[in-house]
Amino acid sequence: MASSRRRNRRGHQDYPPWVYRFRVGSMGELSDCEGNLYHAVARLAQRTPFVEVLAEASAGLSVRVDAHITSFQTPPRLRGAVFRAWTRTGWTEVSISGLDTSSLRFAESAVERVLARRPAHEEPPGLSSIARLEKTTPMERPVRDMDEERLVRLAKDILSWAEGVPDIRETEVQLSWRIDERLYLNSSAARCSQAVSRVRGYVSPVATENGRAESDRLVHGGVGGAEIFDRITSEEVRRTAETSRALLHSKTPPLGKQAVLLSPSMTGYFAHESVGHGAEADQFVRNRSYLQPLLGEVVGPEILTIVDNGAYPGAWSEIYADDEGHPAQRTVLIDHGRLVGALHDRDTAAALGALPTANTRRADVFSRAFVRMTNTYVEPGESSFDELVKEARNGVLLEAGVAGIEDPQGGQIQLKARMGHRIENGKVTDLVSAMALSGRVLEFFASIRGVSGKQDFVLDSGSCGKGRTDFMPNAAGGPYVLGTAVVGRA
Amino acid sequence: MSGPRVGEAAAFRVADQLAGKEPWEVFGDRVRRYEIHFRGDTIEMTRGPVALEGYGVRLFRSHDGATGVGYQASNDFSPEGVRDAVDAAERAARYARFPVARVELPSGHGASGGIVEVLDRGLWEYPVDSLDSYFAALRAAFEGREKTSQLSFGSVRATLSETSICNSAGLRTGYGHTTVELEVAVKGIGGPEGPAPGEYWVNDSDRRLRPGELPERVDDWCRFAEDVRRGRPPPTGETAVVLPPTVLSGILPIVFGGRFTGAARLRRAAPEPGTKLGEDIATVYDDGRVPWGPMSSPVDDEGVPQRRRTLLDHGTVSEILYDTLHAGAFGTRSTGNSFRGIAMGMRTWFRFLQPPIIAPSTIVLEPGKGGLEAELIEAAHDGIWIQEIGWSSPDPITGTFGGEIRLGYRIRDGKLAEPVRGGTVGGSALAVEGSPSLMTRLEAVGSRASFAELVFTPPVLVRSLTVAGD
Repeated sequence: MASSRRRNRRGHQDYPPWVYRFRVGSMGELSDCEGNLYHAVARLAQRTPFVEVLAEASAGLSVRVDAHITSFQTPPRLRGAVFRAWTRTGWTEVSISGLDTSSLRFAESAVERVLARRPAHEEPPGLSSIARLEKTTPMERPVRDMDEERLVRLAKDILSWAEGVPDIRETEVQLSWRIDERLYLNSSAARCSQAVSRVRGYVSPVATENGRAESDRLVHGGVGGAEIFDRITSEEVRRTAETSRALLHSKTPPLGKQAVLLSPSMTGYFAHESVGHGAEADQFVRNRSYLQPLLGEVVGPEILTIVDNGAYPGAWSEIYADDEGHPAQRTVLIDHGRLVGALHDRDTAAALGALPTANTRRADVFSRAFVRMTNTYVEPGESSFDELVKEARNGVLLEAGVAGIEDPQGGQIQLKARMGHRIENGKVTDLVSAMALSGRVLEFFASIRGVSGKQDFVLDSGSCGKGRTDFMPNAAGGPYVLGTAVVGRA
Repeated sequence: MSGPRVGEAAAFRVADQLAGKEPWEVFGDRVRRYEIHFRGDTIEMTRGPVALEGYGVRLFRSHDGATGVGYQASNDFSPEGVRDAVDAAERAARYARFPVARVELPSGHGASGGIVEVLDRGLWEYPVDSLDSYFAALRAAFEGREKTSQLSFGSVRATLSETSICNSAGLRTGYGHTTVELEVAVKGIGGPEGPAPGEYWVNDSDRRLRPGELPERVDDWCRFAEDVRRGRPPPTGETAVVLPPTVLSGILPIVFGGRFTGAARLRRAAPEPGTKLGEDIATVYDDGRVPWGPMSSPVDDEGVPQRRRTLLDHGTVSEILYDTLHAGAFGTRSTGNSFRGIAMGMRTWFRFLQPPIIAPSTIVLEPGKGGLEAELIEAAHDGIWIQEIGWSSPDPITGTFGGEIRLGYRIRDGKLAEPVRGGTVGGSALAVEGSPSLMTRLEAVGSRASFAELVFTPPVLVRSLTVAGD
């Protein structure tokens, strides 16, 4: 599939030179246990052709403030690791909490017991990473400077901006930062050490009137330092509060099949649910993706390009390497209307004759690895917003994406918008309340007749589960997209 | 073994190091988890033991008539690790504020939690064998159906937990419990030529493995998966709908959890007792002692015994739910509804990571006189039976919900007719008096309740909801 990586003589993967530019050394929380992890892998490697370990530690702070309560939720002081080894019958995994020698010994023994019962004599399928990288999120302002006192002060400032708006009775402000440190080692000598700093602000002003409550929300999140909090401005907070207030008098949305103009956040949900999940190649291996038979085919208009990009600088789901030690990359899924790629881990890549795309991710070391998206988006087109509204003529603008769900087997999606506006005679008119969009993805693709330009491009920060578990940071976005779909109440 | 090994319980090991830090509370979990992931009828991966042991320390500090609550979770049981967690909780408590002058922690004296069935003994003793047997039974239940339906993929995950709670008021309690999460995608390949295979998704949370029920359940799942292929979107408009427990489980816990709590009361979003929010046939309880309920337990996560509470009494607001902190703010007592690891109606399996919030346990809708399913369908006369919504995504603030119809059936002349697939259904689940909502448009409540994750309810007939389709 879409990748230019090569195999070296050992069947491992060569990486571009930039991968090696990071200095190899030890990082903060995990530095004290790296030696023990290394030796555990080395010992287990004598009993299996391949073994890997992923260790994790995190630090951070999160404050939630409203008119009554100020509370903190610091990420747990949780250190742990997962060992994965190849056996005669497939992979076996053991997870431990704690990285002390006795915990590591427990894990090693558990893996050894399985290997004794099911010894492997051949290499596992797919390419083992040999990458060696070490990277920490660059920050303009260190996020660790945002201690309890500073975080509370900022949250209270933001609260006051919202509560200055009439009818706003309750506002919730959440500010958080978290540094997730992961160390990956394997028996092919790969070593990937990364510390990713995610910073996020959330404001939800609630307007109430006669027992009815409505709320718009403002969210800014990204990978970086404390400078990300600066994106929450007083003007934006007040505008969000005004929208909450306006929603009290919003009208019901027009129902049924009609022209739909997706805002950037809704475009993100569309990209994520429509193609992102369907292109996770474990669905191909399970023979349950509507996209699989269409690989290489034209599925949408020329103006539609959708990518997944774990290396997108500063995006909420930026990673430096995935949890199989492959450096993050940009993978094109739909290229000008043609389905050209899928997202892979080593197993799916091996099964389908492709290369890993650095999309193997674990929610944490206690959860199994799956093929997962990172930052998934529609590339900008060339139309302007006004042109798309005019082209829609009559229909609805769906704004403020809330949720989405996909059906990879049947090729259906459901997207929910918190609000929107009617489009009447080529003009944006009344504010309307929450809506759900549903339909067949391929029919929606065929209906797309406009994508706005880069001036409208936005990447949102959110989270995504696999099934109903394993939630992890995901970003999605794009510009405005015009198509046709069924819209109902939500 | 049916409970924590007391001397070794996670919370108790930490509590011994907290002298002089009163008032405090420690919640501990020792967890073993085993998983089977399958693709088709073959095992894709087995996992386990996933061993996780940790604790969360909560400290309460008085400041100017309010209380600062600090929380820190950790899995480091060394003296340095505990000290580090306590220091972090102290720092947070210094800047945190909750509007109660003094916190009354439960002492554990008086009413006890008693026995609530939440532990599958076979699973506890023999987790690997139990899961293997369960998967074998699942596979066997699909045998002979190859021409019409197949197992697509899924997982069965068992969590064996020893929960322990103690505090500076003298509480020391604990219990063992098991949780089973089942995820199954069933692929329908029979039925009409042409359409792509259809899938029916099963997501279930239970306290025990029930392999004996699989043949009957698999019959239903396969029928639904085949019908997904034949379904077509419904017409747009207002129509009568019948909602079974599987659909109500995606709506009621989040909506009641968003409004019927002390946290909502603090935000002036809770309904006043005596307010009429539903038809007379709507009586809704929160019951933390339903045997085998996923949220059932002898005590909540603060150690307060769980009970049955009436939320709606014949459509009228009766009680709301409290934890210790919010109860203190309103001069009342905790209802035993303090839970950890809850987000959007789902619960994580490692609970100690998060401080508690107020949440419902099992939402119980009292059975009515609507009869069995066939009688509800007959009473609807014309409408739609909604079997599965993609994600009803209820909004805890506005009380609205809505999502794609993954599978439904048209009701014509009082009988189930052709399947429905696609389009949306939605509306308000709870609204102010006089506004249309699921509760104010209840036409009939079925006579027989069953479990679906966090609800124990009969199916209900709703006079009208908004459906959008072709």
